Order: sequence, then structure tokens, then C-alpha cells
Amino acid sequence: MSDTSELLKIQDLYACIGEISILKGINLEIKPGEIHAIMGRNGSGKTTTANIIMGHPDYEVEKGIVELNGKDLLEMETWERAREGVFLSFQYPQSVPGLQVGNFLRKSVAAILGEEAAKGKEFRNKLKESMKELDIPSSFLGRYVNDGFSGGEKKRFEILQLMLMKPKLAILDETDSGLDIDGIRTVAKGINAAIRGTDSGALIITHYSRILEHVKPDKIHVLISGKIVKTGGPELALELEEKGYDWLEEDSEN
Amino acid sequence: MKSEDLYLSMCEPDNANHLWRYSPWKKVHPTGKVREIPTNYLHPEMKLSLLDGSEAPDNFSVIKEDSPSKTNNFSDPVSMSFIESVCRDSEFTLRVKNNTVLEQPIILRIDSGLSKSAVNLSIEVGRHCEFELITLIEGEPDWFGLLRKGNIGEGSIINDVVVGQMKRGTLLRVDAINIGKDSQVRAGSISSGSDRTKADLRYMMDKDGSNLRVLGSILSAEKMYIDHHIEIYHDAPETYSRLDWHSACGGKSRTIGTGMLRVSNGSKGADAGQLFHNLLLSDKAEADSIPELEVSENDVVGCGHGTANGPIDEEQLFYLEARGFSPDEAKDSLIAAFLNSTLSEMGSDALHHWLAENLQDELKTLTT
Repeated sequence: MSDTSELLKIQDLYACIGEISILKGINLEIKPGEIHAIMGRNGSGKTTTANIIMGHPDYEVEKGIVELNGKDLLEMETWERAREGVFLSFQYPQSVPGLQVGNFLRKSVAAILGEEAAKGKEFRNKLKESMKELDIPSSFLGRYVNDGFSGGEKKRFEILQLMLMKPKLAILDETDSGLDIDGIRTVAKGINAAIRGTDSGALIITHYSRILEHVKPDKIHVLISGKIVKTGGPELALELEEKGYDWLEEDSEN
Repeated sequence: MKSEDLYLSMCEPDNANHLWRYSPWKKVHPTGKVREIPTNYLHPEMKLSLLDGSEAPDNFSVIKEDSPSKTNNFSDPVSMSFIESVCRDSEFTLRVKNNTVLEQPIILRIDSGLSKSAVNLSIEVGRHCEFELITLIEGEPDWFGLLRKGNIGEGSIINDVVVGQMKRGTLLRVDAINIGKDSQVRAGSISSGSDRTKADLRYMMDKDGSNLRVLGSILSAEKMYIDHHIEIYHDAPETYSRLDWHSACGGKSRTIGTGMLRVSNGSKGADAGQLFHNLLLSDKAEADSIPELEVSENDVVGCGHGTANGPIDEEQLFYLEARGFSPDEAKDSLIAAFLNSTLSEMGSDALHHWLAENLQDELKTLTT
């Protein structure tokens, strides 16, 4: 077991899908209370990193360490990781026709926080309060999970789950994609409410600096071809917005 | 002609016939000897009540009649005349008076007993009625035949759900429902019992503006053999129908769904579609779905059909597991969701709640 002062520790992580190598030696550490962001072009390995942490069965870890509070996540099944406190806000959340939102939320909260947390007045109040914060109407509870949801509704529903499940580590995979400015502000409010002022941490995966204006990250990492080529403070997002990724690509080749 | 004479005058149906392609008549016939008409079958016990167990209102009555109503001529003559013969040309009539409006679902419980029995039931619904009817088939018979002929009156709005929950044996179910002008019918079928089920469900829309949704939630587990044939006839302008049929197939079961959609010449503005979905839960389960169309009218809104077969979606499983569901919990939830997406469309919240509760035990048989 390693030093547990890190909430998340990723060390020398190599991963592939089939015969294609995607991650080529990722190193990343997030401390409790910190929010980090990963930026990079399409195909650089951002979503793969998220899926590896959550345990997607299609990806194979070739070598490396992924630990949450010193516990080896790679030894756990996906559901065990979720119960341990890892939450992934999906880029493309799955629709499940026939499964009502209200039932799904109760079952998820019961699985992760225990049966007691999913019943009674406290749960109902927290649900009501979180839905209000995210501008989600109560009729939403009777709909089927992500079935017929607009892009914005799907993203807000992911954040609603984040707020209810109180994870130790939240990974937000392009939660801002497809949202208008008001949507980004609402989602950012939810992320701040769930993470700021707690011992939890977050890893935000994004293409754009817009969401980072509302959720100020402690660190930004740039991922190119499966490697983190630069790490900096919040100012790095603006630099990337201005200069793109070419200059970093050239640096990494040198 | 008496039904017995009619039955005996017909040849054994050809297996090339869409209806009998998968389950030949001799496999469905109670003795397998197709020229034989048993004479000693009993009528099962039937009880009509409100869903909460209280007495059904006076607007509803079930009476035994010895002069049966005219057979709906759009049904298969073999199975229909056979059940009529077994019932010795006597039938029960469920009559609903005009303008009957009922909020609470009404339930007709049929106890099919322990050996062999059959019922010839005529459902006569008056004009401008609004109610929900559950026909629940229970019991542990060797063989049970249920013929339901129906006429839905003009402007009525009816949710009609049949739940097949026999613990064993063969169920032969024949429905021939005539849908009145401007009436709306949701016809739900839930099959979760009996070793063998053969159902021939037919709906006639020969009056303007009739509207039909046919929904199926089928649980086939262990070694069950479940064969549903659904025929929908559009024989009038501005008629609408949708068929949505979900079958969850586990164990070594075999599930069949055949559909026939007929749109006759003159049915202008008809709008029809049918979709079969099969969820395969084991390598040894088999599912066949064959939707067919016969469209003789050019001026239609649309006529389509489709079928989809597959195992549980891996990405849906991953999504639920990422929310803390164990693999078994995730699988159970996805099966229940698959069946619920048609179940929840069959009627009101009260009806849906009752159906979902009623199916809890059966759902377990799919995953164990």
C-alpha cells in the first residue's frame, strides 16, 4: 500500500483496446479536495483514462497502478469501484427504457451509500433540493433513464446522480459538451456543490475552457497520444484556447 | 352449422399456414388426435370483481348463454370451432352497459383447475365506456382453452390485459376482438406460465377512426414453448394500430412471435406498425419473430414492421454497474426494464402497479 495522502494515484499506466495501444505511461495524482482537468484532442486517450479508472471491460491495462486512497482499483470490479467511491459522469449516458428514474436513483444510492441512505425524509429532501438546483422538474422522476432525454437533460441527470451519491472521486467525461452557456453554469454549480469544501476530488475531462471558468481547477494536464505532456495551473486552459495543441505536440516530439 | 360439425368438416391445418408454422395443431390439441373432440371438459371457475376484491358494479355482468353469439368471422376456424365444440356450444358473456366509466380496474379471475377445461367467453362492451379489464388465467391444468370474442362499442376507451399465469400445461388462447368506430383499445398480453402457450390474437378495425395498441410482455423461462400469432386488420379509413412485443427468453425456452398486418383496399389514412423485440438471456434460448405485411391501399400514413434480437446490452450493464449495481442486480434490472417498457404502456398507474407486483416471482425464474 502506498502513501494514502493522495486520493487518486495513477502511475506509469499503459492500456490498450484490442491491439491498439492508447495510454502510454500516464502519471497523475489528485489530493483530497482538489479538482484537476485533462484536456486534449479527440483520440488522445482522455475517455480511455476515465473508462480505465471505472473498469470498462473493453480496455486492457498492460501495466501500471491506479489507486484510490491507497486501494488498488485495478483489482476491483466496476460495481466495487463505484461502491468504493468512484463516480463517472458519462460522455454518452446509456438510455434504459423501462427503468424509471426514481427507482434507479433509489437503487443506486442504496447500493453506494447503503439502504438507509435511500429512504426516508432526508433522501427525499436531498433529491428535491438537488433537482431544484439543477432546474430539473419533479416529473423527471417518472421518466425512463435517459430515454428521450435531450443532450442537456442527460448531462444534468448525470450531475444529479453525482450530487446524490457523494463520491470520493468524480470523473466528468466531457460533461460540458453540447451544453449552452446556461447549461454549463448549472452543471458547474452542481459540480462545485458536490466537490468544493469536501474531501472528495474530481477529474474533469474537457475540450473547452468554458467550464473551467466556472469550476476553477487546481491543475490542468494536457494529454497527447496517450501521455501527459504538460501540467499547469488554470492559466494553461487559456493558453490552449489561444494557441491550440500544435506547440505541445512539437515539444513532446522533441 | 354446429361448431362440432364445422370443426370436423375441416382438414388439419397446413403447417405452411403462417399461424401453424411453428406449433402444428396436433401439438396444441389436448390429445394430439386432431379428429377427437373431448366431451367431458368442465367450465372453470370465474369470478369478476374490482381489483381491490370488492364486488363488480352492476354495469358489469357475466352470464351463461346456450345460444352463442355469431362467431367473429375473421378468426382461425380450426382453433375457434374446437374450443366452441369442447364447450358444447355454450358460452359466457361479459356484458358492459353503455356509458360505463370505471376508474378502478376490473378483474376476471379464471381458475383453470387441475386437469382439462375450456371457456368460450364473449365480451360485449357498450358505447362510450371507459374502463380497464384484467383477465387472469390461473391454475395447474394439463390443458386449458380460452376463446374470447369481443365487440367494443363506438367511442369506448378500453385497456384489456390478459395475464397467462398457469403453473403448467398447455394454454390455447384465441382472441377475436372487433373494435368499434372511434374507439381506443390497448390490448396487453402477459405470458409468464404454462409449459406451452399457443395464442392466436386477432383484431378487426372495420369502422372509421378506431385506434389499437397491442402490447406484449412475455417471460419465457426453463423449457417453456411460447408461440403468439397476432393479426391486425385495417378495413376502414383513418384506423391506427401499433404492435410492440417484448419477449425475455431464458433457460432452454423457445419463443415465437408472428405478426400479420393487413390493410385492405379503401382503408385510406391507415397508420400501422409492428415491432418485435427479443432479449436472449441464455445460449440455449431461442426466439423467432416474423412480422408480415399485406397492404392493398396506396393512400396510407405508414405501414412498417421490424424485429430485433439480442442479449443484454453490455454498455447498459456497464452503466448500471458504474452506479453500484452488482452484476446480478444490473441484469435483473435490465430484464425488468425491458419487460416494463411494454407493461407500463398497458394502462393506468394502478393497473401497471398491480401487473408489476404480480410478476415479481416470475421475473426471478428468468435469472435463476
